[in-house]
Amino acid sequence: MRVLVTGMGGHLGTRVAQLLEIRDDVEAVAGFDLVPPRRRLGRSVFKRIDPRDRDRLVEFVRDFAPTAVAHFGVYEPAARMGIRAARVASEECTVTALGAAARAGALECVAVRSGIEVYGRGGRRPEVPDEHAPLGPTTPYGRTCLDVEAHAAGLARRHDVPVASLRFAPISGSRAPSPIGRLLRLPAVPVPALADPPFQLLHTDDAARAMVAALDRRAQGPFNVVGPGAASPWQAVRLGGRVPVPVAGPGWLVANRIAELAGSPVPPHVLELVRRGRVADGGRAVDELGLVGLVPTQEVLADLFAWASVTPLPGAGRPAVVATPGSS
Amino acid sequence: MRIAAAPGSRAEDRAEDRAPPPAPNYGIDSDRLLDRDSLPAALRRRWDGRYAVDEFGGDPHLQDFLLAPVVGRLPVRTVGAEHLPASGGALLVANLGVGLLEPLLVAGAVQRAVDRRLRLVGLPTLPGLGALTHKLGGIGRRAGDVAAVLRAGHLAAVPLGRTLSPRAAGEAPRLVIGATLGFPVLPVAVRPSGPVGLPAGGWVVAVGPLCRPPEGTATDDPLAAAELAEEVRRAVAAMLRGGGGDP
Repeated sequence: MRVLVTGMGGHLGTRVAQLLEIRDDVEAVAGFDLVPPRRRLGRSVFKRIDPRDRDRLVEFVRDFAPTAVAHFGVYEPAARMGIRAARVASEECTVTALGAAARAGALECVAVRSGIEVYGRGGRRPEVPDEHAPLGPTTPYGRTCLDVEAHAAGLARRHDVPVASLRFAPISGSRAPSPIGRLLRLPAVPVPALADPPFQLLHTDDAARAMVAALDRRAQGPFNVVGPGAASPWQAVRLGGRVPVPVAGPGWLVANRIAELAGSPVPPHVLELVRRGRVADGGRAVDELGLVGLVPTQEVLADLFAWASVTPLPGAGRPAVVATPGSS
Repeated sequence: MRIAAAPGSRAEDRAEDRAPPPAPNYGIDSDRLLDRDSLPAALRRRWDGRYAVDEFGGDPHLQDFLLAPVVGRLPVRTVGAEHLPASGGALLVANLGVGLLEPLLVAGAVQRAVDRRLRLVGLPTLPGLGALTHKLGGIGRRAGDVAAVLRAGHLAAVPLGRTLSPRAAGEAPRLVIGATLGFPVLPVAVRPSGPVGLPAGGWVVAVGPLCRPPEGTATDDPLAAAELAEEVRRAVAAMLRGGGGDP
């Protein structure tokens, strides 16, 4: 297997590359991203390419001629970039990299990152959608995910390649920048005054594991990958020892601004998570991808809160490295 | 997927296979009733956020603390409790009169018979109260949501159509039964035990034997679902006509 990892500079992409390069049946791993990886990689090849630079990207992918693509070049708004930049980067990366990989001629399977944001919330939508539920995203990130899935499905049809769409619950955990993680780690967190909807999180390592499993099994179709169990805003905030601030109606506009000034921009899909919940039925991925032992949502939360924002160095009398909550 | 011939085995196996591994939700089982915390311990737990929340918005700790003592005291006599499964997902279909009491009576009967919590479908949704009913075990009334609850291995109760007479069985929830084909379906009749329909000596909750579609039915067969819905409705009606005593 020659695996192309798009978005290799992100925490998830780096993790997948690490999981792949220790395996004997993987011949080569190559990847690209806007930013370089921040963890040690062994034999993986990384190239820093902006997805908008189509010619260089196409050349790189064509020369590598991958047999499998782990597509992590789907950027969550406010994780590393703004809403519009994330949408453009995701779209360019998907169209260019997947197209070039298919035209290189050796492609055998593809797995793309998507999110359970594609189901949307509210209205006549099911509360706990499974993979058969209609797709009706209600946020920019959900629409981006839907576009990515549509592009990948088109590729599957034209080139007869199995494509797995991994609809991840919001990915969080220590050390990975995520907008929901930043919000929950603020000292005071806005929560809905009249509701307490359930949401699920997914541990970064589990997301990487699901991607490898999907490539391994040549999985096809959508899979919801969620951490078992759930949490709710009030419960999560108290678990972290933070102060819940009840907010209703137009108060959210104010809360949103304050959170942004405090270093945690709240993009629409995170606001929706807090106000209306975000859950899905992950049974299919457990059965068909063999994902047993996923980290439960409550443990992802505990991991997030256990991540020290002030790291004392051994021997130092006072904190040596001071980081703001949520930064990595 | 097809429904196997062996009595209930396939459906129950499936329900148990699909039940997610128990999440370490601070020792709180989201399906089985636990001993109540003492008041200070419960307050401490709420304050620390160390309680379980499940994906349907349920809050088992709050259910044990607020709901269980109330429904456990309702004057209910259960007939046919041996039909209630001790584990795995199952759908209870109960009649519904003018009030709100029937679902709570069924919850009380289930709690006493098998020590399990019951998910209630179709509680009235009032603005601001939705969060509370969800926490106490209410779930959305869409068929897909009920199916998700059963796949997760919970017991769910869905009402027949509302009727004015406490002795009549309303229309069967065909869509829900269609979406959950393959899981055990139990007819449940709730009726006052006194003479002329008065709950003088409390209520009787009668649980009938498992209703199943014919062997080899595909799980997405709408005709089989409609027939099963009718069978369940008849079973409930028969138990309601059974009179003040046992069916």
